Amino acid sequence: MEHTTPESDGGTATITPPPQPAIGAPLLWKMDSTPSAQPTGSERSPQQWLDIFLNDQQDLTAVDRFSKAHDHGVPDQSKYYSELIPLSKPLPGQQYAFEVDLDSCTGCKACVAGCHNLNGLDDDEAWREVGLLVSPTPPKNLKSQLPMLQMITTACHHCAHPACLDGCPVMAYDKDPVTGIVKHLDDQCIGCQYCILKCPYDVPKYSFKRGIVRKCDMCSSRLAVSEAPACVQACPNTAIRIKVVDLEDVKKRAAEKSFVAGAPSPDYTLPTTVYKTKRPELLELVSADQHVLKPDHGHTPLVAMLTIMQLAIGLLFASAALAVILPGSLVDSLRPFAALAALGTIGLGLGVAQLHLGRPQFAFRAFLGLRTSWLSREIIGFGLFAKCAAAFAATFWLDKLVPFVPQVGIVVPYLPLAQKILEPLTLLSGLAATFASVMVYVDTRRPMWTMRFTAPKFFGTALILGVASAPIMLLAASLITQTPLVGPTRLLCLGAVVALALCGAAKLAYDLSLLRHLRDSDMTPQRKSSLLLTQPLLPFFAARVILSVTGTLLLPLALAIQIVALPTLPIFVPLGLAAASFGAAFLGELLERHLFFRASVPLKMPGGSPV
Amino acid sequence: MNAPLDPKANSLLSKLGPLGALLRQWEGPLTRELLLNPAGFGLGKVPDRLKPDATTKMVCGYCSTGCSLNIHLKDGQAVGLTPATDYPVNLGMACPKGWEALAVLDAPDRATTPLLRNAAGEMESISWDVALKTFCERFKGIQDQHGKDSIAWIGTGQIPTEELALLGAVGKFGMGMVHGDGNTRQCMATAVTAYKQSFGFDAPPFTYADFEESDAIVLVGSNLCIAHPIMWERVLRNKKSPEIVVIDPRKTETACAATLHLQIKPKSDLALFYGVAHMLIARGWIDEEFIRAHTSDFDGFVAHVETFTPNAVCETTGLSREQFDRFVNIVHERKAVSFWWTMGVNQSYEGVRVAQSLINLALMTRNIGRPGTGANSITGQCNAMGSRLFSNTTNLLGGRDFTKEKDRQDVAKILDIPVERIPDRSSWAYNEIMDGIDSGRIKGLWVIATNTAHSWINQNSVAELRKKLDFLVVQDMYASTETALMADLMLPAAAWGEKEGTFINSERRIGVTKKVSKAPGQALTDFNIVKLISHYWGCGEMFKRWESPEATFQIMKDLSKGQPCDITGIQDYKMIDDSGGVQWPCSVPELAKDQQRRLFADGQFFTPTKRAKFIYEAPRSMPESPSAEYPFLLLTGRGTASQWHTQTRTKKSKILQKLYPAHVYIEINPIDAERLSISANTDVTIASARGSITAKAVVTALIQPGQVFLPMHYEMVNQLTHPSFDTYSKQPNYKCCAVQISPA
Repeated sequence: MEHTTPESDGGTATITPPPQPAIGAPLLWKMDSTPSAQPTGSERSPQQWLDIFLNDQQDLTAVDRFSKAHDHGVPDQSKYYSELIPLSKPLPGQQYAFEVDLDSCTGCKACVAGCHNLNGLDDDEAWREVGLLVSPTPPKNLKSQLPMLQMITTACHHCAHPACLDGCPVMAYDKDPVTGIVKHLDDQCIGCQYCILKCPYDVPKYSFKRGIVRKCDMCSSRLAVSEAPACVQACPNTAIRIKVVDLEDVKKRAAEKSFVAGAPSPDYTLPTTVYKTKRPELLELVSADQHVLKPDHGHTPLVAMLTIMQLAIGLLFASAALAVILPGSLVDSLRPFAALAALGTIGLGLGVAQLHLGRPQFAFRAFLGLRTSWLSREIIGFGLFAKCAAAFAATFWLDKLVPFVPQVGIVVPYLPLAQKILEPLTLLSGLAATFASVMVYVDTRRPMWTMRFTAPKFFGTALILGVASAPIMLLAASLITQTPLVGPTRLLCLGAVVALALCGAAKLAYDLSLLRHLRDSDMTPQRKSSLLLTQPLLPFFAARVILSVTGTLLLPLALAIQIVALPTLPIFVPLGLAAASFGAAFLGELLERHLFFRASVPLKMPGGSPV
Repeated sequence: MNAPLDPKANSLLSKLGPLGALLRQWEGPLTRELLLNPAGFGLGKVPDRLKPDATTKMVCGYCSTGCSLNIHLKDGQAVGLTPATDYPVNLGMACPKGWEALAVLDAPDRATTPLLRNAAGEMESISWDVALKTFCERFKGIQDQHGKDSIAWIGTGQIPTEELALLGAVGKFGMGMVHGDGNTRQCMATAVTAYKQSFGFDAPPFTYADFEESDAIVLVGSNLCIAHPIMWERVLRNKKSPEIVVIDPRKTETACAATLHLQIKPKSDLALFYGVAHMLIARGWIDEEFIRAHTSDFDGFVAHVETFTPNAVCETTGLSREQFDRFVNIVHERKAVSFWWTMGVNQSYEGVRVAQSLINLALMTRNIGRPGTGANSITGQCNAMGSRLFSNTTNLLGGRDFTKEKDRQDVAKILDIPVERIPDRSSWAYNEIMDGIDSGRIKGLWVIATNTAHSWINQNSVAELRKKLDFLVVQDMYASTETALMADLMLPAAAWGEKEGTFINSERRIGVTKKVSKAPGQALTDFNIVKLISHYWGCGEMFKRWESPEATFQIMKDLSKGQPCDITGIQDYKMIDDSGGVQWPCSVPELAKDQQRRLFADGQFFTPTKRAKFIYEAPRSMPESPSAEYPFLLLTGRGTASQWHTQTRTKKSKILQKLYPAHVYIEINPIDAERLSISANTDVTIASARGSITAKAVVTALIQPGQVFLPMHYEMVNQLTHPSFDTYSKQPNYKCCAVQISPA
């Protein structure tokens, strides 16, 4: 069909027996004596052939003849999958679930590619993954005919208690009351990605270009018309099917911790997927990727937000503590500035928090999840904290407005009272919001984000940064009021420095104590986290230790020496030391928080790559 | 998404009207992106934006399984695919490579214009006209100086038969080349030689239905689960509870799925099968009538296997007597036993004899010509089988012999060309061409759709050989392959999906591939590139009948007439398409109606005597056994189902990338790892006498102590392999060489 028949419709049916070109397509075949021979008459030069071939390459009419026009209504493929999907809808107390026959799955991974293609996902987007289980090495207590390997195909488990749904601050998840399918409402999502942290099976995936997460919905619209989900259709070994399961059975299996080797415990979210096998020895296998050290996502805006918010709380507490310990003019003079600085810090924190959202314009929906979501509570908590802090700061500064807005004068007499009420409210709301911050992570059930691990970090940061700010406040007040730092003020400053060293040392010691797990014989999450810190994350970890030691130990020591031994030096020397100490401590805490995320060892299904 | 405010889900919000909809938004542009709707054309639902306006079926361009893919078209352009539902090969399924077959066509490193190395040594974009003139000028210049046979080509099993046939015809009859070979030498040559010697023709006897009809399936050196997942689909459809015997030194995915895994010592397979033959003969478990009527030299074989006693064989293979006996019993007791082999046999220094040892077992037990039986070679590439018949390299077109006067006369007559244009000697094999470059006999090389610089055994030698070439032309779809980067002239080729032609799969089934996507830039089909070369070379007239791929198919029919691979009964592409592919032989159209045909039901083979031959030889030791300096034996093979050979295509799909390890890794036994202080996922140096590479350690008991395994897909692996070859097939011995291991 090489253009010998320009008016033909192309296609393979236009095979002209070679010696007889079709009508209207005169074609002479002549020996090309030289490549540059000029065409004479209908003879074609090599260059003319070139042009013809280049044009032909862009012509796509050739397959027209083969195209199929008929459609039976029922997909042709249904004959292979009709027995792999339920005939009826679930009854009350039941739902749809994936069932995987592990004994049939041999790891071809067609399910992943089929899901990707049939659902039109992005180039690098996959809603199904295939993990690998292998015999433990060194082998121990093995009963059966190991070594062996086993593939684990996994998508959303459409849990009976979906953690993603509970955690979502905007109700962007919906569990269908009939089918039990856990569906993500793409247009509702604000892109906070908390569901990614919440899901113990690493199911929701973030789409940067859209600013939302997306996930498997068991091809609910296919199931609705008795078409099998893409993965079910694509499995050459019929290893994946859809079943109706009884929720009582789901609960029972979860209580028995019966799910699949290498997966997080099912008693958290009650995953409904059933992994079937006739080989009990599969339970002895371990995830093939257990030795892979891949730091988790850094979530930089969250790192900044948490550290900054905790600084603000520390600042307010420090200011309040100073006022309690040493009431009087020097402290009083700094409190308005402290309140204002705290308010500014909170504003900054709320600002950077927005950077974390894929679609911040819909953040107003964040109250919807209040009933179940700690993230929702954190957002509301920090909002409340910000409002209290603003009102509290206003009590120091409103009277300054009177010359410009005389009406404000009415409230001025009430300001001291308001201050007394608002300060504890602000502190309390700050503490509550920080508690919500802690719970945001504790509630993910990641082994490295337990209460014991998270609360000391978050409150410790507030404490360290608050204490580190105290000497600055005192020295700055001393500078502003031109009052030399003597007597109780000097003692207080010294006390703050000592407290900083103690807090800093305690927090660092607590964090470093994790490294004892490097000696664990199994790949525990603690060991893995320690390995992450000391191998791929070593530069960050080293910097964090150096900065914290500098900011909370070395520089405070220098400051203490100066206060005790060299009190006559100009005030900017201790002020500079205090500021440097604060700065280093702050950077140290930022890095601590960075590592909190990156070395967190997420819960997930077994991975597919051993390296 | 169909219910904009599900009252059950949120009754309060539903009462808020538009505000409620804003607060809880059930649909919108993001939701619509994933909205599925019926596609029509017998398909299920597809995303709206990918809804086709037509569909067409074509065979996949990766492996030899030969699956049919249903291409979804929109304005003639492919927008998606699903595995064809009714094709007798894949029955509605595809592996990940097939699913992603279209995705790799858009890669940014597709070759879009010819490239010529300039004086500064850089590749420079040039016009086709300049490229083709340069091609002819340089190659003719080399021929003038060093003789016609001083230029050669290395072809492929990845392009349609029509393109291979035209390439072989233009190369030899038009341009006067004598030596051309293909990358099929690296995967199939052993099976070809074994069949030719034993059966008289390169004739894999089976059809895929045999997987479903066997009572015992013996897989030798074949990781079917991941190398040919769709054939494994057929194994799982077997309703006869078959024994699945896997013979492999590694505990592969397939070995884990087997009913019996014989984890033999590497390269003890030949002794094992001779041992099985010994036992079958000793116990009288053979079909003497069939042997007498349809085979030759059985007596010699009986004498040959006499020394392969069970004790000796268990000693050689490392198997227990119990395992050995169980295997022998399975072969005897099961009614239909099929023997299947892949690269574990083919890529060996004595692969031909191993393949023939399986053929011998099939013959002596009459596991041939019956449903569910056969000594069956599972091919590698999508068109290795087309190459075997029509590439005009080792064989003259249509499975003929260059050295036979009559065969040359026949071809000259069919093609209407002077008989003297047909060389009277066979091509050198791939390794001989490489040796020819080394010795200065070959000065110009044309590489088409293969990646020698990655895949050639003892790969470091390729860079040295490159320096000895006066002119290297690489014709490929990507300008970025290791070999393309070495070229003097790079010709941009259209890929599978951007052209037409036919492939022949493992079970001899001819399937059509079509043009469903535009090639990027000025890339052209290999067919048209070769046509253009013929015009620029000045021999276009000789190939005027080779007007198009389908016209060429008609020529192939003529060439097949009277041969065992007779396809004269196939009318045209449409008939192939409508029949669900057509297996050769097909001398009359009616045969195409039977979609599952096997050979030798009548016991008549293609030898002059019509008898199959027992061929045997004493096993030999490995060309390079582990030594004190290099104490480990290195095995190589496929990594995952998502990786294809040198990964020129599969590494272009982001989805496939997710399905295999990004880093090269080496499997090592825990005992060895502990001894060498190698811990999991740390870097390991692997050195052979030829090169040294670094890989991440995977510590696993799936590999036996003293052995290590490297997946072949990573570009550095063949720096280590040992350049030894099967004596008869010249196929490289990729799967055993000695290495040392140390922590990096």
